[in-house]
Amino acid sequence: MFSNFEFFIIEALRSFRRSTLMNLVAIGTIAVTLVIFGLFLLLIINMGNVVGTVSSRMDVAAYVEEDISLGEAGALQLKFSKIPGVEKVEFISRTEAWKKFKQDFGTKLDLDEIMTENPLPHTFTVRVRTPELLPPVAKRLSEFEVVSEVRYSGRMIDQIRSLLDAVRIGGAGLVILISFATLLIVVNTVRLTVLARETDIYIMKLVGATDTFVKWPFIIEGILIGVLGGLISFLVLKFSYDGVVLRVSQALPFLPLVCDQRMLAVIYITMVAGGTALGMVGAYISVSKVLKIEV
Amino acid sequence: MIELINVSKTFSNGIDVLFNINLHVGKEEFVFVVGPSGAGKTTLMKLLYREERPSLGKVIVDRVNVAELDVHQVPYLRRNIGVVFQDYKLLPKRTVYENVAFALRVTGTPRSTVRRKVMQSLELVGMLRRANAFPDELSGGEKQRACIARAIVNNPPILLADEPTGNLDPTTSWDIIQLLDKINKRNTTVLVATHNKGIVDDMKRRVVALENGRVIRDQLLGSYDVQ
Repeated sequence: MFSNFEFFIIEALRSFRRSTLMNLVAIGTIAVTLVIFGLFLLLIINMGNVVGTVSSRMDVAAYVEEDISLGEAGALQLKFSKIPGVEKVEFISRTEAWKKFKQDFGTKLDLDEIMTENPLPHTFTVRVRTPELLPPVAKRLSEFEVVSEVRYSGRMIDQIRSLLDAVRIGGAGLVILISFATLLIVVNTVRLTVLARETDIYIMKLVGATDTFVKWPFIIEGILIGVLGGLISFLVLKFSYDGVVLRVSQALPFLPLVCDQRMLAVIYITMVAGGTALGMVGAYISVSKVLKIEV
Repeated sequence: MIELINVSKTFSNGIDVLFNINLHVGKEEFVFVVGPSGAGKTTLMKLLYREERPSLGKVIVDRVNVAELDVHQVPYLRRNIGVVFQDYKLLPKRTVYENVAFALRVTGTPRSTVRRKVMQSLELVGMLRRANAFPDELSGGEKQRACIARAIVNNPPILLADEPTGNLDPTTSWDIIQLLDKINKRNTTVLVATHNKGIVDDMKRRVVALENGRVIRDQLLGSYDVQ
Protein backbone atom coordinates (compact mmCIF):
# COMPACT_ATOMS: atom_id res chain seq x y z
CA MET A 1 0.00 0.00 0.00
CA PHE A 2 2.82 2.40 0.87
CA SER A 3 4.36 1.78 -2.52
CA ASN A 4 0.99 2.51 -4.16
CA PHE A 5 0.64 5.72 -2.19
CA GLU A 6 4.03 6.85 -3.41
CA PHE A 7 2.87 6.14 -6.96
CA PHE A 8 -0.32 8.20 -6.43
CA ILE A 9 1.70 11.15 -5.15
CA ILE A 10 4.17 11.00 -8.05
CA GLU A 11 1.33 10.76 -10.58
CA ALA A 12 -0.54 13.64 -8.92
CA LEU A 13 2.54 15.89 -9.00
CA ARG A 14 3.27 14.92 -12.60
CA SER A 15 -0.25 15.84 -13.63
CA PHE A 16 -0.14 19.03 -11.55
CA ARG A 17 2.99 20.18 -13.34
CA ARG A 18 1.55 19.31 -16.73
CA SER A 19 -1.57 21.48 -16.47
CA THR A 20 -0.07 24.40 -14.55
CA LEU A 21 -2.29 27.12 -16.00
CA MET A 22 -5.55 25.29 -15.33
CA ASN A 23 -4.43 24.48 -11.83
CA LEU A 24 -3.48 28.10 -11.16
CA VAL A 25 -6.98 29.14 -12.22
CA ALA A 26 -8.49 26.62 -9.81
CA ILE A 27 -6.17 27.71 -6.98
CA GLY A 28 -7.02 31.37 -7.63
CA THR A 29 -10.75 30.65 -7.62
CA ILE A 30 -10.58 28.80 -4.35
CA ALA A 31 -8.39 31.51 -2.81
CA VAL A 32 -10.78 34.33 -3.83
CA THR A 33 -13.82 32.47 -2.54
CA LEU A 34 -12.17 31.70 0.75
CA VAL A 35 -11.04 35.31 1.20
CA ILE A 36 -14.67 36.42 0.79
CA PHE A 37 -15.74 33.66 3.16
CA GLY A 38 -13.11 34.70 5.72
CA LEU A 39 -14.05 38.39 5.43
CA PHE A 40 -17.61 37.48 6.33
CA LEU A 41 -16.50 35.48 9.32
CA LEU A 42 -14.31 38.35 10.53
CA LEU A 43 -17.11 40.85 9.98
CA ILE A 44 -19.54 38.71 11.96
CA ILE A 45 -17.27 38.07 14.93
CA ASN A 46 -16.29 41.74 15.06
CA MET A 47 -19.88 42.89 15.08
CA GLY A 48 -20.58 40.38 17.81
CA ASN A 49 -17.66 41.81 19.72
CA VAL A 50 -18.94 45.39 19.36
CA VAL A 51 -22.37 44.34 20.62
CA GLY A 52 -20.76 42.54 23.52
CA THR A 53 -18.58 45.49 24.50
CA VAL A 54 -21.32 48.06 24.11
CA SER A 55 -23.87 46.06 26.05
CA SER A 56 -21.40 45.58 28.87
CA ARG A 57 -21.40 49.36 29.29
CA MET A 58 -24.14 49.86 31.78
CA ASP A 59 -23.97 53.63 32.12
CA VAL A 60 -26.70 56.20 31.66
CA ALA A 61 -25.61 59.77 31.15
CA ALA A 62 -27.87 62.49 32.53
CA TYR A 63 -27.08 66.02 31.37
CA VAL A 64 -27.93 69.15 33.28
CA GLU A 65 -27.80 72.40 31.30
CA GLU A 66 -28.70 74.73 34.17
CA ASP A 67 -25.98 76.14 36.29
CA ILE A 68 -25.97 74.34 39.59
CA SER A 69 -23.73 74.67 42.59
CA LEU A 70 -21.57 71.89 43.86
CA GLY A 71 -23.95 71.47 46.83
CA GLU A 72 -26.92 71.07 44.49
CA ALA A 73 -24.93 68.59 42.45
CA GLY A 74 -24.18 66.59 45.60
CA ALA A 75 -27.90 66.53 46.47
CA LEU A 76 -28.84 65.37 42.98
CA GLN A 77 -26.13 62.71 43.11
CA LEU A 78 -27.68 61.41 46.32
CA LYS A 79 -31.21 61.42 44.82
CA PHE A 80 -30.08 59.60 41.73
CA SER A 81 -28.26 56.95 43.74
CA LYS A 82 -31.54 56.15 45.50
CA ILE A 83 -33.28 55.13 42.27
CA PRO A 84 -33.73 51.32 42.39
CA GLY A 85 -31.10 49.46 40.37
CA VAL A 86 -28.48 52.19 40.48
CA GLU A 87 -25.05 51.07 41.56
CA LYS A 88 -23.16 54.33 41.66
CA VAL A 89 -23.37 57.88 40.43
CA GLU A 90 -20.48 60.02 39.32
CA PHE A 91 -20.60 63.77 38.79
CA ILE A 92 -18.55 65.58 36.22
CA SER A 93 -18.98 69.32 36.30
CA ARG A 94 -19.10 71.25 33.05
CA THR A 95 -15.83 72.97 33.93
CA GLU A 96 -14.15 69.63 34.49
CA ALA A 97 -15.61 68.22 31.31
CA TRP A 98 -14.46 71.23 29.33
CA LYS A 99 -10.97 70.96 30.75
CA LYS A 100 -10.78 67.30 29.80
CA PHE A 101 -12.17 68.00 26.36
CA LYS A 102 -9.56 70.70 25.80
CA GLN A 103 -6.86 68.33 26.98
CA ASP A 104 -8.00 65.67 24.53
CA PHE A 105 -8.55 67.83 21.50
CA GLY A 106 -7.05 71.17 22.27
CA THR A 107 -3.55 70.39 21.17
CA LYS A 108 -4.47 70.81 17.52
CA LEU A 109 -6.41 74.04 17.83
CA ASP A 110 -6.93 76.73 20.38
CA LEU A 111 -10.49 76.15 21.53
CA ASP A 112 -10.62 79.27 23.64
CA GLU A 113 -10.27 81.31 20.49
CA ILE A 114 -13.32 79.73 18.86
CA MET A 115 -15.49 79.26 21.90
CA THR A 116 -15.92 82.16 24.24
CA GLU A 117 -17.85 80.09 26.74
CA ASN A 118 -18.04 76.49 27.82
CA PRO A 119 -20.66 74.69 25.65
CA LEU A 120 -20.80 71.51 27.74
CA PRO A 121 -23.47 70.55 30.27
CA HIS A 122 -22.91 69.03 33.69
CA THR A 123 -22.88 65.24 33.45
CA PHE A 124 -24.02 62.59 35.89
CA THR A 125 -22.80 59.13 34.92
CA VAL A 126 -25.22 56.67 36.47
CA ARG A 127 -24.14 53.02 36.52
CA VAL A 128 -26.90 50.42 36.78
CA ARG A 129 -26.55 46.83 37.99
CA THR A 130 -27.72 44.96 34.88
CA PRO A 131 -28.27 46.07 31.26
CA GLU A 132 -32.03 45.43 31.57
CA LEU A 133 -32.21 48.21 34.15
CA LEU A 134 -30.99 50.81 31.66
CA PRO A 135 -34.42 51.82 30.23
CA PRO A 136 -36.32 52.15 33.59
CA VAL A 137 -33.48 54.04 35.25
CA ALA A 138 -33.15 56.31 32.20
CA LYS A 139 -36.91 56.98 32.44
CA ARG A 140 -36.72 57.85 36.13
CA LEU A 141 -33.78 60.18 35.50
CA SER A 142 -35.60 62.01 32.72
CA GLU A 143 -38.46 62.70 35.12
CA PHE A 144 -36.27 65.11 37.06
CA GLU A 145 -36.98 68.60 35.78
CA VAL A 146 -33.42 69.71 36.11
CA VAL A 147 -32.22 66.93 33.79
CA SER A 148 -32.26 68.19 30.23
CA GLU A 149 -31.26 65.01 28.43
CA VAL A 150 -30.67 61.32 29.16
CA ARG A 151 -28.55 59.04 27.00
CA TYR A 152 -27.65 55.39 27.05
CA SER A 153 -26.49 52.94 24.41
CA GLY A 154 -29.52 50.60 24.44
CA ARG A 155 -31.07 51.72 21.16
CA MET A 156 -27.75 51.36 19.40
CA ILE A 157 -27.35 47.85 20.80
CA ASP A 158 -30.73 46.81 19.43
CA GLN A 159 -29.84 48.24 16.05
CA ILE A 160 -26.49 46.49 15.96
CA ARG A 161 -28.11 43.23 17.06
CA SER A 162 -30.61 43.25 14.24
CA LEU A 163 -27.90 44.24 11.77
CA LEU A 164 -25.77 41.41 13.10
CA ASP A 165 -28.63 38.93 12.58
CA ALA A 166 -29.09 40.17 9.03
CA VAL A 167 -25.37 39.85 8.31
CA ARG A 168 -25.30 36.37 9.83
CA ILE A 169 -28.21 35.06 7.77
CA GLY A 170 -27.22 36.87 4.59
CA GLY A 171 -23.58 35.94 5.11
CA ALA A 172 -24.37 32.27 5.66
CA GLY A 173 -26.51 32.23 2.50
CA LEU A 174 -23.80 33.96 0.53
CA VAL A 175 -21.08 31.65 1.83
CA ILE A 176 -23.15 28.58 0.83
CA LEU A 177 -23.74 30.04 -2.63
CA ILE A 178 -20.09 30.95 -3.10
CA SER A 179 -18.92 27.53 -1.90
CA PHE A 180 -21.30 25.87 -4.34
CA ALA A 181 -20.10 28.05 -7.20
CA THR A 182 -16.49 27.28 -6.29
CA LEU A 183 -17.26 23.58 -6.15
CA LEU A 184 -18.69 23.78 -9.68
CA ILE A 185 -15.65 25.66 -10.94
CA VAL A 186 -13.25 23.25 -9.26
CA VAL A 187 -15.18 20.26 -10.63
CA ASN A 188 -14.95 21.69 -14.12
CA THR A 189 -11.32 22.66 -13.82
CA VAL A 190 -10.32 19.24 -12.56
CA ARG A 191 -12.51 17.69 -15.24
CA LEU A 192 -10.42 19.46 -17.86
CA THR A 193 -7.25 17.97 -16.38
CA VAL A 194 -8.97 14.59 -16.25
CA LEU A 195 -10.09 14.85 -19.87
CA ALA A 196 -6.58 15.89 -20.88
CA ARG A 197 -5.45 12.56 -19.49
CA GLU A 198 -8.09 10.44 -21.20
CA THR A 199 -5.52 8.20 -22.89
CA ASP A 200 -3.81 7.63 -19.55
CA ILE A 201 -7.11 6.65 -17.99
CA TYR A 202 -7.99 4.43 -20.96
CA ILE A 203 -4.65 2.64 -20.73
CA MET A 204 -4.92 2.36 -16.96
CA LYS A 205 -8.33 0.75 -17.22
CA LEU A 206 -7.28 -1.46 -20.11
CA VAL A 207 -4.36 -2.96 -18.25
CA GLY A 208 -6.62 -3.67 -15.31
CA ALA A 209 -6.36 -0.72 -12.92
CA THR A 210 -9.29 -0.54 -10.54
CA ASP A 211 -11.38 2.64 -10.42
CA THR A 212 -10.01 3.43 -6.98
CA PHE A 213 -6.50 3.26 -8.36
CA VAL A 214 -7.39 5.61 -11.22
CA LYS A 215 -9.10 8.06 -8.88
CA TRP A 216 -6.41 8.54 -6.23
CA PRO A 217 -3.90 10.63 -8.20
CA PHE A 218 -6.69 13.01 -9.25
CA ILE A 219 -8.01 13.29 -5.71
CA ILE A 220 -4.51 14.05 -4.41
CA GLU A 221 -4.15 16.67 -7.15
CA GLY A 222 -7.47 18.18 -6.02
CA ILE A 223 -6.31 18.25 -2.42
CA LEU A 224 -3.09 19.95 -3.51
CA ILE A 225 -5.07 22.61 -5.40
CA GLY A 226 -7.34 23.10 -2.39
CA VAL A 227 -4.53 23.35 0.15
CA LEU A 228 -2.65 25.91 -1.96
CA GLY A 229 -5.84 27.94 -2.50
CA GLY A 230 -6.55 27.81 1.22
CA LEU A 231 -3.02 28.87 2.17
CA ILE A 232 -3.06 31.82 -0.23
CA SER A 233 -6.40 33.01 1.14
CA PHE A 234 -5.04 32.61 4.68
CA LEU A 235 -2.00 34.76 3.93
CA VAL A 236 -4.02 37.42 2.14
CA LEU A 237 -6.58 37.62 4.91
CA LYS A 238 -4.12 37.49 7.79
CA PHE A 239 -1.93 40.30 6.50
CA SER A 240 -4.84 42.52 5.52
CA TYR A 241 -6.65 41.96 8.82
CA ASP A 242 -3.52 42.60 10.86
CA GLY A 243 -3.03 45.79 8.88
CA VAL A 244 -6.62 46.89 9.49
CA VAL A 245 -6.36 46.14 13.22
CA LEU A 246 -3.18 48.22 13.46
CA ARG A 247 -4.68 51.21 11.63
CA VAL A 248 -7.96 51.05 13.53
CA SER A 249 -6.24 50.82 16.89
CA GLN A 250 -4.44 54.08 16.03
CA ALA A 251 -7.27 56.00 14.39
CA LEU A 252 -10.37 54.71 16.20
CA PRO A 253 -9.07 53.32 19.50
CA PHE A 254 -12.57 52.98 20.99
CA LEU A 255 -13.65 50.46 18.29
CA PRO A 256 -13.16 47.02 19.82
CA LEU A 257 -11.74 44.82 17.01
CA VAL A 258 -11.18 41.12 17.67
CA CYS A 259 -7.50 40.42 18.26
CA ASP A 260 -7.87 37.10 20.07
CA GLN A 261 -5.25 35.02 18.25
CA ARG A 262 -6.94 31.73 19.11
CA MET A 263 -10.25 32.83 17.61
CA LEU A 264 -8.47 34.12 14.49
CA ALA A 265 -6.54 30.86 14.22
CA VAL A 266 -9.84 28.96 14.18
CA ILE A 267 -11.03 31.09 11.26
CA TYR A 268 -7.80 30.66 9.33
CA ILE A 269 -7.74 26.91 9.92
CA THR A 270 -11.38 26.70 8.79
CA MET A 271 -10.39 28.44 5.57
CA VAL A 272 -7.49 26.12 4.77
CA ALA A 273 -9.57 23.07 5.69
CA GLY A 274 -12.46 24.39 3.60
CA GLY A 275 -10.17 24.83 0.60
CA THR A 276 -8.82 21.31 1.01
CA ALA A 277 -12.33 19.89 1.19
CA LEU A 278 -13.43 21.86 -1.89
CA GLY A 279 -10.49 20.61 -3.91
CA MET A 280 -10.95 17.03 -2.81
CA VAL A 281 -14.71 16.86 -3.37
CA GLY A 282 -14.35 18.67 -6.69
CA ALA A 283 -11.77 16.19 -7.93
CA TYR A 284 -13.75 13.21 -6.68
CA ILE A 285 -16.93 14.30 -8.47
CA SER A 286 -15.22 15.05 -11.77
CA VAL A 287 -13.09 11.91 -11.91
CA SER A 288 -16.09 9.75 -10.98
CA LYS A 289 -18.07 11.34 -13.80
CA VAL A 290 -15.34 10.58 -16.34
CA LEU A 291 -14.90 7.02 -15.10
CA LYS A 292 -18.61 6.35 -15.52
CA ILE A 293 -18.53 7.13 -19.24
CA GLU A 294 -15.13 5.50 -19.79
CA VAL A 295 -14.52 1.93 -20.89
CA MET B 1 -9.65 -20.48 -23.53
CA ILE B 2 -12.02 -18.28 -25.49
CA GLU B 3 -15.53 -19.21 -26.49
CA LEU B 4 -18.24 -17.13 -28.13
CA ILE B 5 -21.70 -18.70 -28.10
CA ASN B 6 -24.49 -17.22 -30.27
CA VAL B 7 -23.07 -13.73 -29.82
CA SER B 8 -24.81 -10.78 -31.44
CA LYS B 9 -24.06 -7.12 -30.95
CA THR B 10 -26.21 -4.15 -31.84
CA PHE B 11 -24.93 -0.69 -30.99
CA SER B 12 -27.19 1.73 -29.12
CA ASN B 13 -27.67 3.70 -32.35
CA GLY B 14 -29.31 0.62 -33.89
CA ILE B 15 -26.40 -0.50 -36.08
CA ASP B 16 -25.89 -4.27 -36.08
CA VAL B 17 -22.20 -5.28 -35.94
CA LEU B 18 -22.14 -8.96 -35.08
CA PHE B 19 -24.69 -11.71 -35.85
CA ASN B 20 -24.85 -15.02 -34.06
CA ILE B 21 -21.10 -15.59 -33.76
CA ASN B 22 -19.90 -18.98 -32.55
CA LEU B 23 -16.18 -19.33 -32.07
CA HIS B 24 -13.89 -21.50 -30.00
CA VAL B 25 -10.21 -20.69 -29.51
CA GLY B 26 -8.16 -23.23 -27.60
CA LYS B 27 -5.27 -22.62 -25.24
CA GLU B 28 -2.08 -21.34 -26.89
CA GLU B 29 -3.67 -21.11 -30.31
CA PHE B 30 -2.68 -18.44 -32.85
CA VAL B 31 -5.67 -17.13 -34.78
CA PHE B 32 -5.99 -14.50 -37.48
CA VAL B 33 -9.33 -12.69 -37.62
CA VAL B 34 -9.62 -11.28 -41.12
CA GLY B 35 -12.15 -9.31 -43.08
CA PRO B 36 -12.75 -5.89 -44.61
CA SER B 37 -13.12 -2.74 -42.51
CA GLY B 38 -16.44 -2.69 -40.71
CA ALA B 39 -16.72 -6.47 -40.67
CA GLY B 40 -16.78 -6.45 -36.86
CA LYS B 41 -13.20 -7.49 -36.03
CA THR B 42 -12.56 -4.72 -33.53
CA THR B 43 -15.93 -5.20 -31.82
CA LEU B 44 -15.21 -8.91 -31.50
CA MET B 45 -11.93 -8.09 -29.73
CA LYS B 46 -13.58 -5.52 -27.47
CA LEU B 47 -16.13 -8.11 -26.32
CA LEU B 48 -13.28 -10.23 -24.97
CA TYR B 49 -11.87 -7.60 -22.61
CA ARG B 50 -15.27 -6.14 -21.86
CA GLU B 51 -14.93 -2.78 -23.50
CA GLU B 52 -18.21 -3.81 -25.13
CA ARG B 53 -20.92 -6.18 -23.94
CA PRO B 54 -22.81 -8.46 -26.31
CA SER B 55 -26.50 -7.77 -26.95
CA LEU B 56 -27.09 -11.52 -27.01
CA GLY B 57 -25.07 -14.63 -26.23
CA LYS B 58 -22.16 -15.61 -24.02
CA VAL B 59 -18.51 -14.53 -24.18
CA ILE B 60 -16.45 -16.97 -22.18
CA VAL B 61 -12.83 -16.17 -21.36
CA ASP B 62 -10.97 -18.66 -19.20
CA ARG B 63 -14.25 -20.33 -18.11
CA VAL B 64 -15.89 -17.02 -17.07
CA ASN B 65 -18.80 -15.43 -18.93
CA VAL B 66 -17.40 -11.92 -19.19
CA ALA B 67 -20.68 -10.59 -20.56
CA GLU B 68 -22.16 -10.95 -17.09
CA LEU B 69 -19.05 -10.10 -15.13
CA ASP B 70 -19.54 -7.70 -12.24
CA VAL B 71 -18.10 -4.25 -12.97
CA HIS B 72 -15.68 -4.58 -10.05
CA GLN B 73 -14.29 -7.80 -11.50
CA VAL B 74 -13.50 -6.29 -14.91
CA PRO B 75 -10.03 -4.97 -13.90
CA TYR B 76 -9.01 -8.49 -12.87
CA LEU B 77 -10.23 -9.93 -16.20
CA ARG B 78 -8.12 -7.36 -18.03
CA ARG B 79 -4.97 -8.27 -16.16
CA ASN B 80 -5.19 -11.60 -17.97
CA ILE B 81 -5.55 -10.07 -21.41
CA GLY B 82 -2.88 -8.03 -23.17
CA VAL B 83 -4.07 -5.64 -25.90
CA VAL B 84 -2.02 -4.27 -28.80
CA PHE B 85 -3.36 -1.36 -30.89
CA GLN B 86 -2.85 -0.14 -34.41
CA ASP B 87 -2.13 3.38 -33.05
CA TYR B 88 -0.01 2.02 -30.15
CA LYS B 89 -1.65 4.24 -27.51
CA LEU B 90 1.67 4.98 -25.81
CA LEU B 91 1.66 7.79 -23.26
CA PRO B 92 3.62 10.56 -25.01
CA LYS B 93 5.30 12.16 -21.99
CA ARG B 94 6.70 8.91 -20.67
CA THR B 95 9.69 6.92 -21.81
CA VAL B 96 9.36 3.39 -23.16
CA TYR B 97 10.39 2.05 -19.77
CA GLU B 98 7.82 4.21 -17.97
CA ASN B 99 5.07 3.23 -20.41
CA VAL B 100 5.65 -0.45 -19.75
CA ALA B 101 6.15 0.05 -16.00
CA PHE B 102 2.93 2.07 -15.85
CA ALA B 103 0.92 -1.02 -16.75
CA LEU B 104 2.39 -2.82 -13.77
CA ARG B 105 2.24 0.09 -11.34
CA VAL B 106 -1.47 0.72 -11.88
CA THR B 107 -2.22 -2.86 -10.96
CA GLY B 108 -0.42 -2.36 -7.67
CA THR B 109 2.72 -4.34 -8.47
CA PRO B 110 5.47 -3.55 -5.95
CA ARG B 111 8.31 -1.46 -7.31
CA SER B 112 10.92 -4.12 -6.71
CA THR B 113 9.14 -6.51 -9.07
CA VAL B 114 8.36 -3.83 -11.64
CA ARG B 115 11.92 -3.24 -12.76
CA ARG B 116 12.70 -6.90 -13.29
CA LYS B 117 9.49 -7.58 -15.21
CA VAL B 118 9.80 -4.48 -17.41
CA MET B 119 13.37 -5.38 -18.32
CA GLN B 120 12.38 -8.95 -19.21
CA SER B 121 9.53 -7.70 -21.34
CA LEU B 122 11.66 -5.11 -23.14
CA GLU B 123 14.31 -7.71 -23.79
CA LEU B 124 11.76 -10.09 -25.29
CA VAL B 125 10.56 -7.47 -27.80
CA GLY B 126 14.12 -6.26 -28.48
CA MET B 127 13.64 -2.77 -27.02
CA LEU B 128 16.09 -2.85 -24.14
CA ARG B 129 18.38 -0.33 -25.81
CA ARG B 130 15.51 2.09 -26.43
CA ALA B 131 14.15 1.92 -22.88
CA ASN B 132 14.82 5.60 -22.14
CA ALA B 133 13.49 6.98 -25.42
CA PHE B 134 10.22 8.89 -25.62
CA PRO B 135 7.53 7.68 -28.04
CA ASP B 136 8.06 10.53 -30.53
CA GLU B 137 11.72 9.49 -30.84
CA LEU B 138 10.71 6.01 -31.99
CA SER B 139 9.98 4.54 -35.42
CA GLY B 140 6.58 2.94 -36.06
CA GLY B 141 7.98 -0.54 -35.57
CA GLU B 142 9.66 0.45 -32.30
CA LYS B 143 6.44 2.00 -31.04
CA GLN B 144 4.61 -1.21 -31.79
CA ARG B 145 7.29 -3.21 -29.96
CA ALA B 146 6.89 -0.93 -26.95
CA CYS B 147 3.13 -1.41 -27.13
CA ILE B 148 3.58 -5.20 -27.24
CA ALA B 149 6.02 -5.04 -24.31
CA ARG B 150 3.37 -3.24 -22.29
CA ALA B 151 0.71 -5.77 -23.29
CA ILE B 152 2.75 -8.78 -22.20
CA VAL B 153 4.56 -7.38 -19.16
CA ASN B 154 1.98 -8.93 -16.87
CA ASN B 155 2.41 -12.35 -18.57
CA PRO B 156 -1.23 -12.53 -19.62
CA PRO B 157 -2.43 -15.89 -21.00
CA ILE B 158 -4.21 -14.07 -23.84
CA LEU B 159 -2.84 -11.43 -26.22
CA LEU B 160 -5.16 -9.51 -28.57
CA ALA B 161 -3.71 -7.46 -31.41
CA ASP B 162 -6.04 -5.18 -33.35
CA GLU B 163 -4.46 -4.37 -36.73
CA PRO B 164 -0.95 -4.36 -35.23
CA THR B 165 0.66 -3.83 -38.64
CA GLY B 166 -1.87 -1.30 -39.92
CA ASN B 167 0.59 1.60 -39.83
CA LEU B 168 3.78 -0.28 -40.67
CA ASP B 169 5.79 -1.02 -43.82
CA PRO B 170 5.91 -4.67 -45.04
CA THR B 171 9.32 -5.57 -43.54
CA THR B 172 8.49 -4.09 -40.15
CA SER B 173 5.06 -5.73 -40.28
CA TRP B 174 6.70 -9.05 -40.79
CA ASP B 175 9.01 -8.46 -37.78
CA ILE B 176 6.03 -7.64 -35.60
CA ILE B 177 4.13 -10.76 -36.64
CA GLN B 178 7.27 -12.83 -35.96
CA LEU B 179 7.34 -11.29 -32.50
CA LEU B 180 3.68 -12.18 -31.89
CA ASP B 181 4.46 -15.71 -33.06
CA LYS B 182 7.36 -15.88 -30.59
CA ILE B 183 5.05 -14.77 -27.78
CA ASN B 184 2.52 -17.41 -28.85
CA LYS B 185 5.21 -20.05 -28.53
CA ARG B 186 5.71 -18.94 -24.93
CA ASN B 187 2.29 -20.40 -24.09
CA THR B 188 0.15 -17.36 -24.90
CA THR B 189 -3.10 -17.51 -26.85
CA VAL B 190 -2.83 -14.88 -29.60
CA LEU B 191 -5.65 -13.34 -31.62
CA VAL B 192 -4.64 -10.99 -34.44
CA ALA B 193 -7.21 -8.93 -36.31
CA THR B 194 -5.75 -7.88 -39.65
CA HIS B 195 -6.32 -7.27 -43.30
CA ASN B 196 -2.69 -7.81 -44.20
CA LYS B 197 -3.12 -10.53 -46.83
CA GLY B 198 0.57 -11.24 -47.34
CA ILE B 199 1.23 -12.01 -43.70
CA VAL B 200 -1.86 -14.20 -43.25
CA ASP B 201 -1.01 -16.20 -46.36
CA ASP B 202 2.65 -16.67 -45.36
CA MET B 203 1.98 -17.64 -41.76
CA LYS B 204 -0.47 -20.42 -42.60
CA ARG B 205 -2.29 -20.30 -39.27
CA ARG B 206 -5.94 -20.66 -38.35
CA VAL B 207 -8.03 -17.99 -40.08
CA VAL B 208 -11.48 -16.80 -39.01
CA ALA B 209 -13.02 -14.61 -41.72
CA LEU B 210 -15.71 -12.08 -40.86
CA GLU B 211 -17.97 -10.32 -43.29
CA ASN B 212 -20.87 -8.03 -42.37
CA GLY B 213 -20.77 -9.29 -38.81
CA ARG B 214 -20.91 -12.99 -39.64
CA VAL B 215 -18.24 -15.72 -39.56
CA ILE B 216 -18.05 -16.77 -43.18
CA ARG B 217 -15.08 -19.08 -42.84
CA ASP B 218 -13.05 -20.75 -40.07
CA GLN B 219 -10.08 -22.63 -41.44
CA LEU B 220 -6.99 -24.26 -39.95
CA LEU B 221 -3.78 -23.50 -41.85
CA GLY B 222 -5.86 -20.97 -43.74
CA SER B 223 -5.22 -18.05 -46.04
CA TYR B 224 -6.69 -14.58 -46.42
CA ASP B 225 -9.01 -15.46 -49.30
CA VAL B 226 -10.89 -18.65 -50.11
CA GLN B 227 -8.62 -20.91 -52.11
